[in-house]
Amino acid sequence: MSWRDALALAGKGVQRRPGRAVLTVLAVALAAALLTALLTIAGTAETKVLDELAKGGPLAGIKVAAAEPDPGQIDQDNARPGPPRDLDDAALARIAALPAVSRVLPVITARVLVTAPDRTVEGQALDPFLDTIVGVDLSSAASLPLTVLAGRLPGESSVTEVAVTQGYLERLGLERTEASTVVGSEIRWGAGRFYPDGERSFVRGRWVRAQVVGVVAQEAGSGSFLVPIDQARTARAWTGSGPDGGASLELASSPYTGLFVVAEGIDNVSRVRAQITAVGYSTSAPENLIATVRRYLHVVEIVLSAVGGIGLVIAALGITNALLAAVRERRREIGVLKAIGARDRDVLRIFLVEATALGLLGGLLGTALGWLVARGVSEVVNGYLAAQGLVGVRLGIPVLVVAGGIVGSALLSLVAGTVPALRAARLPAREAVGGS
Amino acid sequence: MPPLAIAVRDLTHRFVVRGGRLTVLDGLDLVVEAGGHVALMGQSGAGKSTLLALLGGLERPQEGSVVVDGHDLTGLSRDELAAFRRESVGFVFQHFGLLETLSAVENVELACTLAGVPRRSRGRRAKELLDAVGLGERAGHRPGELSGGERQRVAIARALANHPRVVLADEPTGNLDEDSTTMVVELLESLPAEHGCTLVVVTHNRALAGRAKRLLALRRGNLHEAASV
Repeated sequence: MSWRDALALAGKGVQRRPGRAVLTVLAVALAAALLTALLTIAGTAETKVLDELAKGGPLAGIKVAAAEPDPGQIDQDNARPGPPRDLDDAALARIAALPAVSRVLPVITARVLVTAPDRTVEGQALDPFLDTIVGVDLSSAASLPLTVLAGRLPGESSVTEVAVTQGYLERLGLERTEASTVVGSEIRWGAGRFYPDGERSFVRGRWVRAQVVGVVAQEAGSGSFLVPIDQARTARAWTGSGPDGGASLELASSPYTGLFVVAEGIDNVSRVRAQITAVGYSTSAPENLIATVRRYLHVVEIVLSAVGGIGLVIAALGITNALLAAVRERRREIGVLKAIGARDRDVLRIFLVEATALGLLGGLLGTALGWLVARGVSEVVNGYLAAQGLVGVRLGIPVLVVAGGIVGSALLSLVAGTVPALRAARLPAREAVGGS
Repeated sequence: MPPLAIAVRDLTHRFVVRGGRLTVLDGLDLVVEAGGHVALMGQSGAGKSTLLALLGGLERPQEGSVVVDGHDLTGLSRDELAAFRRESVGFVFQHFGLLETLSAVENVELACTLAGVPRRSRGRRAKELLDAVGLGERAGHRPGELSGGERQRVAIARALANHPRVVLADEPTGNLDEDSTTMVVELLESLPAEHGCTLVVVTHNRALAGRAKRLLALRRGNLHEAASV
């Protein structure tokens, strides 16, 4: 008897007690749904937590400061910069050439005077203030620690768009939940150039009018305004090309304020940090924090898997019980099958196929249901996060969990069906004429 | 002399019962020629069904030898016995033994499947067999939708699926009314002539037994020729 014939016969066997089959499938489906929902939620939560730790950037991100390293910095997540040291194109090229380095993205900041037409929540006009624009390569935004809270990022080569950070919102007295209210507003910022003129020195500004297109949380550099890197470079060049070379305005000599280095995987972060330290620059990365959090999250995953696994085992016992009952009820039928020529392995095959088919069906339904439950939970969570002004979670389709749920249910059912199937296979053919 | 379909020598079979062992068959001998038609009668518990089970390879002989269609069933493995049943024997049971979830034609097709009939030919073969027992029009009906007589005719069609050399019928009319009994008796009686098989029928039905060429009575574990019923 072929597997196909066994499947057809198993299908007919299920029809004998459809209610029992439905209940068995439901038990497996509920267990698979529980497991899928728990693991999907756990996986999504892990992604969210790690995303928060990495500030929206890659987990393997390393910040490099324009400063010499402290010898003890390797074991520390936070930066412990030593004396300033210029970060130029040569340093960038050296770091980019290091083993296990995936990308190197420069960061340029510039001090500017900002005038904003926005008023504070109390209705008061905002006085001009000194702040910093942070310039990054926005075409590589996905590799930078950036999270868009409202609106969008400026165009990568735009000279009239800017994104603001929470610092700007706070200056206006706005909550994070009100971030979208500043999108579309306009600000002006000017980079200064110092001119000594006897006793009455003066500063000339290079002014830029820009539209706020988004609100971001960013860790690329310290400043309330995120702009394309060329804008920051231009502002910095303006200040630096003054008669004093920018010294009066405390312009740092380093062409780059910092670098954002992406290692080839989180496991390489420590190695890359050591190499950059050897090159002579201070680094920081949340690698220890991420590793610790990942360990705890892994423990949570194990616990949730165990809960779901217990559900599946209970469902498997249900399959065993249902099939044992079926074998008891079908003793004569099994005997007849053997009387007309079925071998023990044919009968074994029929019952194993029946168990696996029930498990597979339950697994398919269960994983779909589990994903829907996880999606429902994520909707609730996102509603809460949105109310808090936080970025919501993104629920993908966890391919491994789905595949594992389906295949695991089928395999577990196969195992659960083994004892009843063996019992059926060993029944004597004599059962066909009423046993002995 | 025609070849032998069944040759049983000194067959002894016992069951373990509470308090000891019960000898059901005690040094039984039986020879049936190919194409023969034998009826076995005897009181309930005499061992008729046990003998049929031993002849059909449903059970292994404990002592003595059983040779059916040239196969010595003594010492065969479970798989070898299954192969013997698949190739040489057709069974007809009192309880019909049809799978309730399969239609009439599917029940016959199942036997064709086990007999190794190619998938593309199974349907045609099953339909031919159902036509032969006069149930071609009821091929799609499930056992629950058929009368007792019709079910038994489906069972007979199924028994013929593997071109058996020996057909063993255990009380084939035990659950049938008078009209159905007549129809089934005539159908069974025609098997040796039309299908070239040997027929052994266990029955309490004197009319059915009376149609056999040989009538044997099982008493005290052995067979006795019965001249008349």
